[in-house]
Amino acid sequence: MRQVTATAAPDTGTTAAVRIVGVEKAFAGRRRGAAARRALDGFDLEVREGEFLCLLGPSGCGKSTLLNLLAGFETPDRGEVVVAGDRVSGPGPDRGVLFQTPMLFPWLTVLDNVLYGPRARHELTTEIRERAVELLETVGLGSAMHAYPHELSGGMRHRAAFARVLINKPRLLLMDEPFGALDAITRLAMQRFLLELWERDRTTIVFVTHDVEEAVLLGDRICVMSGSPGQTRAVFPVDLPRPRDVALTDTLAFAHLKRQVREALEEGHR
Amino acid sequence: MAGSDELGRPRQRPSAVRLSRIGWGLGGIVLVLAAWELFARLKGDPVLMPTVPATARTFWDYLRTPYPAAGHTLWQHALVSLARIGVGWGAGVVIGVAIGGLMASASVVRYLIDPLIELSRPLPPLAFIPLFIIWFGIGETPKFVLILVGVVPVMIIATVTALDAVPKELVQASRSLGASPLWSLLTVRLRSALPGIITGARLAMGGAWTSIVAVELIASTSGLGYLINNAGVNLQTSLVLSGIVSISLLGIVLDSLLRLLHRGIDPTRR
Repeated sequence: MRQVTATAAPDTGTTAAVRIVGVEKAFAGRRRGAAARRALDGFDLEVREGEFLCLLGPSGCGKSTLLNLLAGFETPDRGEVVVAGDRVSGPGPDRGVLFQTPMLFPWLTVLDNVLYGPRARHELTTEIRERAVELLETVGLGSAMHAYPHELSGGMRHRAAFARVLINKPRLLLMDEPFGALDAITRLAMQRFLLELWERDRTTIVFVTHDVEEAVLLGDRICVMSGSPGQTRAVFPVDLPRPRDVALTDTLAFAHLKRQVREALEEGHR
Repeated sequence: MAGSDELGRPRQRPSAVRLSRIGWGLGGIVLVLAAWELFARLKGDPVLMPTVPATARTFWDYLRTPYPAAGHTLWQHALVSLARIGVGWGAGVVIGVAIGGLMASASVVRYLIDPLIELSRPLPPLAFIPLFIIWFGIGETPKFVLILVGVVPVMIIATVTALDAVPKELVQASRSLGASPLWSLLTVRLRSALPGIITGARLAMGGAWTSIVAVELIASTSGLGYLINNAGVNLQTSLVLSGIVSISLLGIVLDSLLRLLHRGIDPTRR
């Protein structure tokens, strides 16, 4: 098979937005004396500035651990996690995290959810406030900004979560199966929304998913992982034209690539 | 709005639902009063069972007449009990939340206190009354301590449960939006647990009334418990019933205030 190499390093010559070198991470066994579970063992990855990278793999392959390391929620046992030249030492607003569920604060209105970050950092100004309103209009929540999260639909909650992260102007977006819990129609709408958003801003994105079609539709590059411990099984560049649309999924090139990726995924799973 | 919802039920305006709930609720109370009146008339014995109007008259009279002759009016007895509840319950809530907060953050504290709570849980606070009278006499101290004994464990359990139930990702979201650990603790972890803590405070309020009335029955010269007991000894049944109704009314008022607070801080309940 083509492309089945163990390194995930992209072409040299471009600046790396994310650099992960020799990262190891283990979790203590559930019972005393039980062997520690190695989630990652000497993992390497580089992501270019402005790249949309998809991490694809079965559950338990360490892809969420990888994202938690990038977000700064966890620290590696060994190795380096570097984002935009700085070693990650904890969570911060330069890396926007989108979770599987939107995780909005249910006691705050949509607007106050968006303003939570600036307020927490004591950077709330009239200018930021105006930008928040603008941002909410961009994501189609202009009329819902004074509503509470429980009054919104699933898709609207996700868009609100996007706005809450984007107000901080993150250099990197980390997404952990963000559309996994949505129904098929909303999910499609959110994928389209994300494509539009990314094609406008070109923020670097690391997107975790277990859906092959989603990875091929969204990503510039797909890193297929297998575990455990998590390893890179294969890397696929996605040479499909942009701007992309859901119609792309009907093309032969798409189907061909999708099949290759799926085979790599299944091979790793066996 | 006329019509029906998606399940085919006739759609009612929220105000109509509210009105019908209040109507049925009042109906139940009227029914009980009617049964009481019927029973009183059939017996024709004011010591065994005074009629509803007779009880209402006694209630009204003793709002201004001291009982016993050299003592307080019904109104003042109620205030005395209320003050004891306010101080004991208030202190108990603060202590319980503080201990619960420590238990939820440090497992050593949890391991230390958990068995103590489990051991004390089957004990009715009333069992401590003789002990507290021996230790603290019959002043305000034993009453205060007795309320604490009832309130603190309930508040600890409610606080720990509520804090444990806060999703980890909610705190992670706030940290990655730029909140410091302290800011995140105050504005997300505790804030998210607040509805559960208020529910605990409502439950503890019921226990506090049980404790205070019981201790006033035995060791006091003021308060509603004392009034009820003294009136009972003198076979003034209508005054006993007046005291009971007073406790019920005060309980409803206090619980309504807490429910109002709950609604104020939890937009999903509006």
